[in-house]
Amino acid sequence: MLIEQCAYSNRWRAVSPAAKGLFALGGFVAAFVAGQPQAAMTAAGLVTLIAVTGAGVPLSRFTRIALPPLGFLLLGCLSLAFSLDWSAASQGHGQELAVRWLPDGWTPILTLGGRSIGALAALLFLAVTTPLIDLIALLRRLRLPEVLLELMVLCYRMLFVFSEAVRDTRTAQAARLGYAAPRFALRSLGSLAANLTVQIWQRAHALHVAAQSRNNDGPLRFLEPEYANAGRDLALAGTGAVVLIGIALVLS
Amino acid sequence: MNQQAPETLLEFADVTFRYPDGNIGLNGCSLRITRGSRNALIGANGAGKTTLFQHANGLLRPQGGTIRYAGQPIDYSRAGLRRLRGEVGLVFQNPDQQLFSASVREDVSFGPLNLGLDTDTVRQRVGAALRAVGMDKFADRPVHNLSFGQKKRVCIAGVLAMEPQLLVLDEPMAGLDYAMRQELLAVLDDLHARGITLLLATHDIDFAYRWTDRIHLIAAGACAASFATPDLPQHADALTAAGMPIPGIVELHRMLRQQEPAVIAADIPAPRSIGELITLLNQGKDS
Repeated sequence: MLIEQCAYSNRWRAVSPAAKGLFALGGFVAAFVAGQPQAAMTAAGLVTLIAVTGAGVPLSRFTRIALPPLGFLLLGCLSLAFSLDWSAASQGHGQELAVRWLPDGWTPILTLGGRSIGALAALLFLAVTTPLIDLIALLRRLRLPEVLLELMVLCYRMLFVFSEAVRDTRTAQAARLGYAAPRFALRSLGSLAANLTVQIWQRAHALHVAAQSRNNDGPLRFLEPEYANAGRDLALAGTGAVVLIGIALVLS
Repeated sequence: MNQQAPETLLEFADVTFRYPDGNIGLNGCSLRITRGSRNALIGANGAGKTTLFQHANGLLRPQGGTIRYAGQPIDYSRAGLRRLRGEVGLVFQNPDQQLFSASVREDVSFGPLNLGLDTDTVRQRVGAALRAVGMDKFADRPVHNLSFGQKKRVCIAGVLAMEPQLLVLDEPMAGLDYAMRQELLAVLDDLHARGITLLLATHDIDFAYRWTDRIHLIAAGACAASFATPDLPQHADALTAAGMPIPGIVELHRMLRQQEPAVIAADIPAPRSIGELITLLNQGKDS
């Protein structure tokens, strides 16, 4: 929901998603070509700075959105810091497991961490400045297969419909002590899942009927949004992307 | 003077439909909707209102009887249904069942694009439909951030963009608070003024009596009565038989006519709203 709020309230809401996508792609490439961790981190910092100062996304929100993936990244890096070594133990008398700390030093961890943070910043830049409906429209222009786009559209819409259904059902269950004890909670969760399964089936049928009533006979067709100054935005984004990649290369 | 009879837009003649599970949807249902009129379909839950609406849009096909649109029996071929659904727009009761794109503008464009119109025409129609329901400022909003009443208006816009002659609304006032009802009513008034024929299902007999031109009563899948709305007081028995109450204003008018000395003259027809009743009472005082 935080991402949704940012995507709809930022200053660059009306900027062409193609331009924002191009700049984000530049951030990705910069993170990938960065030979040194500090180069990747600089690219990440610049992308974040542009999201905060340019698009007007509050830094606190950006940080809150970034924290969960950064947590996963930290866990991933920690796993690189350890190595399990059987071979050293087998040279001795018994089978012993040796745990080695930083088998290859800090370099691979920092390189991977830096690149991942750079890629994360680029992805978050796109996510917090561009609503998903604009991204889907962009993917449609990029000729992604229709069936994938339709799935994305329906999944995104249904996400909110079902989150409302889950909230209502859970509230109704809680009002009748459905979660008063772990045993009840388990039963309530089970009935919630069963209820949702039926709802999904009914909802799918209702959507099919509603689509038919508006003359649908197969693919879901929608109007593509138009953006003023799309060409100028694209040129600016392209320049920004090239500068980002250049900085990453120079610092490597 | 020879007055021309109003043109029948949609006609159900002895239509029968039974669902696969054996439930009766329609049972010898006959009714007529005239062009440019405002119609209410009134009946208890399960009486067959939604089934009738789905027949009107060609979603269901009658197993007996005939449905005519503009004098012609409905053509159930692909091209025929395409034409019919462009002419008869159906707005569902629950907006979340009808809106499946996350963007307001995209969802409204869905119907006209299915009609095979070019992008410029669709863009024009989407803008006009959103303006007609007062939702043009919300065109780029995501659907899930709208209120229930706003979603209903987007649903209507989605159908209006197909430029139908007959707009069928399944309980459009359900779930709306007073302010939202008034807003929706203003939209419907505007559509009627543009010449769009309206058929809506409602449980609100007071609203139906106040606002519509014609009332159709449906019970157990059959049209129990069909009358001009001002004649409702003469059909009180049919309303009661269909499990519907008599409008409060009609009851009040009847009581006032029976007062001694007379407060309202016996030959004055029943008023349709509280406002009309107050005017009548004031006229009585002045005279």
